[in-house]
Amino acid sequence: MKKILFTLVALLLVMTLQSQRKVEDVKSFTLTNGMKIMVLEDHSIPNANMYIFWKVGSRNEYPGITGLSHFFEHMMFNGSKKYGPKMFDRTMEASGGSNNAYTTENVTVYTDWFPSSSMETIFDLEADRIADLALDPKMVESERGVVLSERSTGLENSNFRNISEEVKASAFSAHPYRWSVIGYESDIKNWTIEDLQTYFDTYYAPNNAVVVISGDVTLEGVKKMAKQYLEPIPAQPAPRKVHTVEPVQRGEKRVMVHKQVSTPNVLIAYHVPETQHEDYYALDVLSSVLSSGKSSKLYSALVDEAQIATRVFTYVPESFDPNLFYFYGIANQDVSADTLEKGILSVLEDVIANGVTEKELQKVKNQKLMEFYKTLETINGKSNTLGSYEVYFGDYKKMYTAPSAYEKVSVEDIQRVAKKYFIKSNRTVGVLQNNEPVSSDSSK
Amino acid sequence: MKHIIKTVVFAAFAFLFTSTITAQEKFKLPEYTQFKLKNGLTVYLMEQHEVPLIQLTGVFPGGAIFDEESKSGLANITAEALALGSKNYTKAQIEENVEFLGATMSTGASLEYAYLSSSFMKKDQKEILTILKDVLLNPTFPKEELDKLLSRRLVEMDQSKESPRAVLGSYYNKFVFGNHPYGNPEEGIKSTLETITKEDITSFYKDMYVPSTSAIAVVGDFDTKSMKREIESLFGKWKSEDVIALSLPVAPVPNEPRVLVVNKEDATETTFYIGGPGISRNNPDYVGLEVINTILGGRFTSWLNDELRVNSGLTYGASSWFSHYKLGGSFIMATFTANETTEQTIDLALTTYKKLHEKGLDQEILLSAKNYVKGQFPPNYETNRALAGLLTDMFTYNFDEAYINTFSDQVDALTVEKAGQLIETYFPKDNLQFVLIGKASEIVEMAKKYGTVKQVEITADGF
Repeated sequence: MKKILFTLVALLLVMTLQSQRKVEDVKSFTLTNGMKIMVLEDHSIPNANMYIFWKVGSRNEYPGITGLSHFFEHMMFNGSKKYGPKMFDRTMEASGGSNNAYTTENVTVYTDWFPSSSMETIFDLEADRIADLALDPKMVESERGVVLSERSTGLENSNFRNISEEVKASAFSAHPYRWSVIGYESDIKNWTIEDLQTYFDTYYAPNNAVVVISGDVTLEGVKKMAKQYLEPIPAQPAPRKVHTVEPVQRGEKRVMVHKQVSTPNVLIAYHVPETQHEDYYALDVLSSVLSSGKSSKLYSALVDEAQIATRVFTYVPESFDPNLFYFYGIANQDVSADTLEKGILSVLEDVIANGVTEKELQKVKNQKLMEFYKTLETINGKSNTLGSYEVYFGDYKKMYTAPSAYEKVSVEDIQRVAKKYFIKSNRTVGVLQNNEPVSSDSSK
Repeated sequence: MKHIIKTVVFAAFAFLFTSTITAQEKFKLPEYTQFKLKNGLTVYLMEQHEVPLIQLTGVFPGGAIFDEESKSGLANITAEALALGSKNYTKAQIEENVEFLGATMSTGASLEYAYLSSSFMKKDQKEILTILKDVLLNPTFPKEELDKLLSRRLVEMDQSKESPRAVLGSYYNKFVFGNHPYGNPEEGIKSTLETITKEDITSFYKDMYVPSTSAIAVVGDFDTKSMKREIESLFGKWKSEDVIALSLPVAPVPNEPRVLVVNKEDATETTFYIGGPGISRNNPDYVGLEVINTILGGRFTSWLNDELRVNSGLTYGASSWFSHYKLGGSFIMATFTANETTEQTIDLALTTYKKLHEKGLDQEILLSAKNYVKGQFPPNYETNRALAGLLTDMFTYNFDEAYINTFSDQVDALTVEKAGQLIETYFPKDNLQFVLIGKASEIVEMAKKYGTVKQVEITADGF
């Protein structure tokens, strides 16, 4: 064990000596309108990207406009003052760029990937849609169809989507994390242009965004463009805070979803704190100890040894507000949901009773270091991760201190958080299975 | 409305004056060393020092094209079984030792080759390479682990059919290639998986995992000289047996339009491919066709996505592509839509596709596509894994680094006239093949207008 620890320390030292592995390589500045911009120069390929993190997600919605953040993700490509409908994409692609976007419970992230020679076009396009988005009623109508199709293909192709919608809706009784990011079908069909305009004016203000640019650019070049194109866009009053706090859960909740599946799926969720909470790193490490790789606790116990599952994983989202720690399992042939649920819970009970080993912990620390390096391998990984650390942890610099933050997690921390959060009254159990449950249940 | 027209006209002029982007000309494949060991193993070494990581990718000829009909799935299972235990390590030890170091290792087989892929930190090079060597050269295929893998795979085959998107490709290949090896489902089918024995696997391994027909690419933070010595000492004693050559027959060309309807009783939407014959990976017109396909279905503003998604809101996305094999391939258009809009969507896809043959391309759109293809090219080769994949693809599909180094020139060389010839030659016009996964009772009648219909149940074994 000593040898490994020594190697890690040595590695961290080496890390700081090589290019782009140290925090000083990231330069940042803030425009007068409050928009923060980070720049990471990397000249290994003649390309760059721009990531814009908007601090708006499904948590900023309310019943009636659920799914609006995600819908906006779509509408931001449908025309603005200078570049009308379709012209955002046409102009960008004609200059060698491509783009995409994603929406979560907390943020909406727009990305542009382009040859660095096209950077000015990208700034012009982004500035135009941030300053002067035009909400054309015709585009809104066709985009409703697109999003309804996205919703239905997601449900058609993913059992996880089906069951997680129901588990979230049960686990949260008050906080807006209770609806899915894509929103309720009836809301998608009914929101109005006024809803959209209000939402845009409230959230798409430069002071509500964080920008990351990585690649074959210079700090001076980016600064010049940012001042010219983005700085003239006025700041807006800070949006109203999400102040709803989910009440403490006072008893296990259970939901059942019927769908034609060959074996049952089980999703178990426990309430856990937000990403900036002191328990975050221990919970994140615990998630990896449980399900990262074939030697992980859940995989080896349930898939390999007991053979009651064909697949199992855990997931803790990065989150502004307290959220859920998910356990998902897909049953093996002739295994009931009940048996699978008990199997997952018995692994958890073992962690609570006996903790994890030093070796398991060290394995995860090594995996985290490997992930860190992989993040640094691409300009895309750099921008997305830097921006995520800035919005979720409050400081992009924490990306560089993450390996040492993981290093500090102890086996005691892990057992403590397992004991604290994995209690029956704090969980919601969801089961997805056929209309007709398996009657010949060998486990009963 | 006026405003929209004005904007479009303005933008069209802007396009005409947009000059060709040239930044990508700087992009060349990084230097690498290629050599053959005495046993015939081809080795590629490429140093990349951005992060202290190393990627090793090995390719072996044991892909699903070698599966006999009675043992469908054998290639894939054999590749996966490499990691079930070796002379010096049990399955648990392989997993524990690799994962403890934060490293990854996976094995598998696609249609035309089997692979071993591993990513690890530079400091762990010796330990990981020792394990990889044992996995590759001395697998033991322990019976108990094989049984577990096979029984799980049988269940997973049913589970994957719960997602139309996950299985559409297998249905399509089987439908258009039939009994030709390109129709072989990579994962196999349940009835034959059940019959696969340890002896089948051992014998397939012996025939297919032979150094003289295999290649290993190592990319990352190492010194070429010492890595060369290391690879020689690890893999130099691997013996080359007689090579089993498979001479593939020419892939069948459809002589009538046909439709396969895969009934999924609870489907609320139809997920489908429409396609025809494609080209091999080393076809000299590969790059030109990629540019043309960008316009039809390869980017967000492509004709298919523009018509089916942006203009009509019928789907979340529509696209087209060529899937390339060694000796041929497929051209495919793909999308999905609600049950009730299936016919409208298929008709619109076909009308949009017709435009390619009837109207062809113009200078403006071709320039845009060229810029797009060149601009999006370099990030494809940014990681050690992607570079190792490129090197092993060069081995498998018989092309060289000119693909990367002359990519821009090849793109620039495409003219409107040349594009017209390529469309005429390569984009299938007649006898299109349709595979629709959806609720048969709601789509099978209208499907008849596109060709001879065959219907199967998604719950039935096979594809």
